[in-house]
Amino acid sequence: MLKAKNRLGIIFFPAYDWAISPTHPERQERLLYTQDQLKEEGVFDIDGIGEYKPEVATVQDVERVHFCFPDVESVCTESHLISAGGAITAAKLVMEKKEDRAFALVRPPGHHAMKVVHGARGFCNINIEAVMVEYIREHYGQKRIAIVDTDCHHGDGSQDIYWNDPNTLYISIHQDGRTLYPGSGFVDEMGGPNAIGKTVNIPLPPQTSDEGFLYVLEKVILPILDDFKPDLIINSAGQDNHYTDPITNMRFSARGYARLNELLRPDIAVLEGGYSIQGALPYVNLGIVLAMAGVDYSHVREPDYNSDAMKQNPVITQYIKKVGQDVLDRYRNSRNFVMRGMPGNYMVRKKPIFYDTDGIRENQVESVMICNECAGILKIESLSSVNPLCLCIEVPLGACDRCRDEGYRILKEGKQKNIYAYIQLINRRDREYLRF
Amino acid sequence: MLLGLDVGGTHTDVVIIDKTGIVATDKVKTNHNDLLETVNRGIENAVKNVNRDDIERVNLSTTLSTNAIVEGKTENVAVLVSAGPGVDPANYRLGEYYYSITGSIDHRGTEILPLNTKETDSALKAAKKAGCKVYAAITKFSTRNPAQENRLCEKIGSAADFITPGHMLSGRLSFPRRVATAYYNSAVWRQFNAFAESVEKSINGFGIKANLNILKADGGTMPLAVSKGLPVESILSGPAASVMGIIALCQVTRDSVLLDIGGTTTDIAIFASGAPIIEPDGISLNSAATLVRALRTKSIGIGGDSVLRVRDGGVVSVGPDRLGPSLADGGAAVALTDAFNFMKIDSHGDVNASAAGIAGLAKNNGMKPNDLAKKAIDCAVGAICDAVRRLVDEINMKPVYTIHELLEGKKVAPEQVYVMGGPAKAFSKRLADALRLPVNVPQNYAVANAIGAALARTTMYIELLADTEKGRMIIPDIGVSRDIPAGYSLEEAEADAKKYLLGHMKKTDVADRHIHAEILDSASFNMVQGYDTTGRNIRVRCQVKPGVLHEYNDVLRNLC
Ligand SMILES: [Zn+2]
Ligand SMILES: [Zn+2]
Repeated sequence: MLKAKNRLGIIFFPAYDWAISPTHPERQERLLYTQDQLKEEGVFDIDGIGEYKPEVATVQDVERVHFCFPDVESVCTESHLISAGGAITAAKLVMEKKEDRAFALVRPPGHHAMKVVHGARGFCNINIEAVMVEYIREHYGQKRIAIVDTDCHHGDGSQDIYWNDPNTLYISIHQDGRTLYPGSGFVDEMGGPNAIGKTVNIPLPPQTSDEGFLYVLEKVILPILDDFKPDLIINSAGQDNHYTDPITNMRFSARGYARLNELLRPDIAVLEGGYSIQGALPYVNLGIVLAMAGVDYSHVREPDYNSDAMKQNPVITQYIKKVGQDVLDRYRNSRNFVMRGMPGNYMVRKKPIFYDTDGIRENQVESVMICNECAGILKIESLSSVNPLCLCIEVPLGACDRCRDEGYRILKEGKQKNIYAYIQLINRRDREYLRF
Repeated sequence: MLLGLDVGGTHTDVVIIDKTGIVATDKVKTNHNDLLETVNRGIENAVKNVNRDDIERVNLSTTLSTNAIVEGKTENVAVLVSAGPGVDPANYRLGEYYYSITGSIDHRGTEILPLNTKETDSALKAAKKAGCKVYAAITKFSTRNPAQENRLCEKIGSAADFITPGHMLSGRLSFPRRVATAYYNSAVWRQFNAFAESVEKSINGFGIKANLNILKADGGTMPLAVSKGLPVESILSGPAASVMGIIALCQVTRDSVLLDIGGTTTDIAIFASGAPIIEPDGISLNSAATLVRALRTKSIGIGGDSVLRVRDGGVVSVGPDRLGPSLADGGAAVALTDAFNFMKIDSHGDVNASAAGIAGLAKNNGMKPNDLAKKAIDCAVGAICDAVRRLVDEINMKPVYTIHELLEGKKVAPEQVYVMGGPAKAFSKRLADALRLPVNVPQNYAVANAIGAALARTTMYIELLADTEKGRMIIPDIGVSRDIPAGYSLEEAEADAKKYLLGHMKKTDVADRHIHAEILDSASFNMVQGYDTTGRNIRVRCQVKPGVLHEYNDVLRNLC
């Protein structure tokens, strides 16, 4: 009888009654063949693999992470709360040691959802990994967490949420932003002033094959993880790098994904994108499940896989080596980063954000206070085509007294100014969540 | 009139029922070396004063297949599998004659790689040389496209006395379960058929002209003719018989718990709105998961003969093992029944032996006998309650796949407990207190198994899959496969599922004219390529659920 080396909990929730629209890639059919494949392979009968029902995330779980305008209920539906709840269930299984690892095979995805939410971007409304990560920190204490995002699209939402957090290492490998949505994720995007180097972007050229992905994993990602020493590794397991994906241009295979997970050894994996629902997902998910459980996956193969056709062009190989070296150098040098301002000063950046799925435009002014003692107070002013000017204030987990007091000062000032339609304060330090 | 026969591990129960109630019962010891002799003895006694012409249906629950498998006394099977890519099929090897052949079919039922002819031929040669006379042929996704399994069957041809093609077992997906189920089906085929035929002869010999039906683990029956090709469906029907017995004896309509407390174990079953809950994937036997549909039951090692032990510090444990009968029944070890006797909750067998035993065990451990007996009973009741709660939780935590089911899905919350078996009465008050639920001990529970067997109706379960892009509809286990137009709808699929299921049942079973087929669930998925809808993928699950034969619905009610 087959036995898993690592006990693996799978939260499988295909949301068979939910779609963005009938022919949208994010539709009812998306995980149908994946379920067929996993069932036919008898995956859930393998000793040590268990299937779990997702819980439903609460509004509170979302408000711990996001500034939603006008409120949580307006920007996300039950489907999003269940998908985030699935990720939370995965985290609980691992944190409470019921399973060694867990895989939230849920939809819809979340990694394009940013800190501030006015609607859906890149099929995402709320960031399910972030909701899960902050649930973990709320209930099991501050942890050093690494998120490795292997979706083909740059996880600009996850990057945005963790831009200023020195305790979260966010690493994204994705198709180069010059050739694919959302057009970001370049090597010089490395995190905010209090968390420089904790955002790592590895843009890969179109036509990157198994060889390129695994090279980057072994030579760049694993060394960075060794240095960061996370308590938990999370894989944002997007599957659109697959060679059959209809909306991307990469050449990653099911066995490649399996090998990646075998080497990365994530504690928790969360499904993100991946829209080759017949040709890729059944095999990629099978590969990931077997690899996470420590079961032999060497016989997993797509019906149309042709290793010769998937060979990587040497020019691409050379290019990837160069990118990898650049990323490593930048990560190592980030320690020597000198603040361009004194502690107590604000770093300000202006961001225009487009919500492709909902057609919303947003303009943000994000200010973060430079602090040597904590992640720094975060203030965002946001104006969008669906909401008037909003004010967001976050007192981070482990905030110092000065930053906490500064947060409440901004709140008082904001109320007095009387120019904000909505004001939301997230105080993670004292667990105070306010809306005006 | 119905005749129910439950061939159990220790006893064989026979019951004859007509529309006014129980006409005759009999209990004989099971002779494992000669089950037919046991059956003959049981029937002979029961039919003495009965007009045999009136018996219209004989239902038989037998442990033959189960015992043969558990004891490893089965025939050699040549197993031919073709798995394609995925988990290595070597992991599912059963028996010594297991051959893996190259070939592949994908999840849509598309043939990716034809069967390798050379490998097939050499496997067949090897199986023949080894003297295998029964075969099993299983290919991955054969329930989507049985072509490769059928080709294997053709190739095997007359070399086999019997072949199990995997897709004929069930429409459900699970290649490993299909391998195990097909293997066991072929492994017990010869013994089962020899037995079934001799039982048929035997009842004819008694002048009974009724149809013979075989009880299944899902609490329903299958006609003899069906069982000859699907003997594996007869495994583990014992617990199902007792569950059906309770349904017959009591008017179970609400969420309920059934406890069957025997000498060694307590079997737990749960009812949702009066209907027994079915094991979602299939029952396991000999640690191999199968596709055999079964009632969901859980067994724990607490029974009347469960041995009492005292550990340091006066911690009392009960079971999970038994060391022969209790002192009350003339055994050598202090058991749970003795504790009940000591507390005067029960007065079973040799009450004095019980009292002496409890006193002795207490003295050896520096306890008061009263404390020991009380702690033992608390421990047993606690273990049963924990198991009940866990089972209910497991049922309520069963994964679902739609938002609607997740948010609106019904939860099971038992309102009533039924207890049967030897120590049932002794346990009833304690269980009622511990579970805070009304507890009912039905009369006639001693032959509830046979009553359940007698009254069980024929059940059936199918899965229909339609793929309008391919233009095919298939119900693998009853051999339906036909072309469908592009506009084939979910409603048509549901109607077809019912039509083919009932049609198939009518072909083999004439006794029950009130068969009702219900749709368990159905769904239609738009299949999209790029941004165009290319077809619909329709799935329908349909069943005739377990229950009491309609004509006998009112017979035994309120006997509870
Ligand atoms: Zn993506
Ligand atoms: Zn600070």
